[in-house]
Amino acid sequence: MTIFSLYVYDRHCTCVYYQDWHRTKAPRPAAEGGILPAVSQQIYQFRGEDGTLSVANSSPRNTLSTSSGVVVAVNDDLPRSPLPHPIAQPPAPKPVSTGLAFDEEAKLVYGVVLSLRNMIKKISGRDEQFTNYRTSTYKLHLYETASGYKFIMLSDPSADSLRFVLRQIYSGPFLEYVVRNPLTSMDSKEHGIDNEYFRTSVDRMVKGLSVYQ
Amino acid sequence: MAIFGLWVINKAGGLVYQKNCGDGLPGLTSNEYLVLAGTLHGIHAITSRLSPIGSSSGAQTIEGESFKMTILLTATGTKFVLLTSPIEPTADSILAKVYEIYSDAVMKNPFHTPEMPIRSEGFDSRITALIG
Repeated sequence: MTIFSLYVYDRHCTCVYYQDWHRTKAPRPAAEGGILPAVSQQIYQFRGEDGTLSVANSSPRNTLSTSSGVVVAVNDDLPRSPLPHPIAQPPAPKPVSTGLAFDEEAKLVYGVVLSLRNMIKKISGRDEQFTNYRTSTYKLHLYETASGYKFIMLSDPSADSLRFVLRQIYSGPFLEYVVRNPLTSMDSKEHGIDNEYFRTSVDRMVKGLSVYQ
Repeated sequence: MAIFGLWVINKAGGLVYQKNCGDGLPGLTSNEYLVLAGTLHGIHAITSRLSPIGSSSGAQTIEGESFKMTILLTATGTKFVLLTSPIEPTADSILAKVYEIYSDAVMKNPFHTPEMPIRSEGFDSRITALIG
């Protein structure tokens, strides 16, 4: 029983956060300009100082931090981190990607969720939420807040409804480290909500679940 | 534990059969059912592409708060969609029986054109006997 990934979308229908645990096929980095900065370091491409495109974590030419672990120069786009940066490692061989760039995949996920929600509302005649759907290899759970934030989690198909987990992520790490954080710009159309505290506390919460692993 | 309805969707995404049972869900106009069936056909295709671990089937169950949809995709591309209450454990076996009735009363009917709307009294009566 595992959890594969988590997406968060805001009310402007853009992906503002992404995290994954057990994906076999890593997402391909988004086309430049395709997604907002501060969604996830894995998939955000930025121009290094010599003008080449690279993905944040894996570049050995990351000139933004010294080997002593202190960040010497931060541009607005990378999440500010009070913790020391890890020493840049040579990139581990990554599994082959699905062939879909991340920004396209994020839009597909959002589109599926939106269409399903409208369909369910139409069929039931009431203002009803769709909770989850299952395929032969994964199960997608949705939790939507009153402010229009959508938390979407992909798990393996035998999991029970993980809405309570998403609700816990909302009322725990999200409220603590995103809403109450004066440095994250929520509801902006230019930035995601990635920050170190949020990421690690969601990671800790998910790994501590009984359904994980 | 109730069955609310049954849809049969052909391989192009068009609705060929639709039946409402009981009053768990409000009835919609036939146009609206056609639109919903087409939407579901598209969603089913997209869900197979979003899999985090390689190739996957399309969506098999879709749950809302007051009902659940179970989808059976046959090898020929026809979809059978059953709408039930959220905790209906027999949905898969009912769909298998519906497929059997479909192949008996519709496919073996020499006057039926494949992929066209189903207008067969035999099919209707057997489905009513099965799901009420």
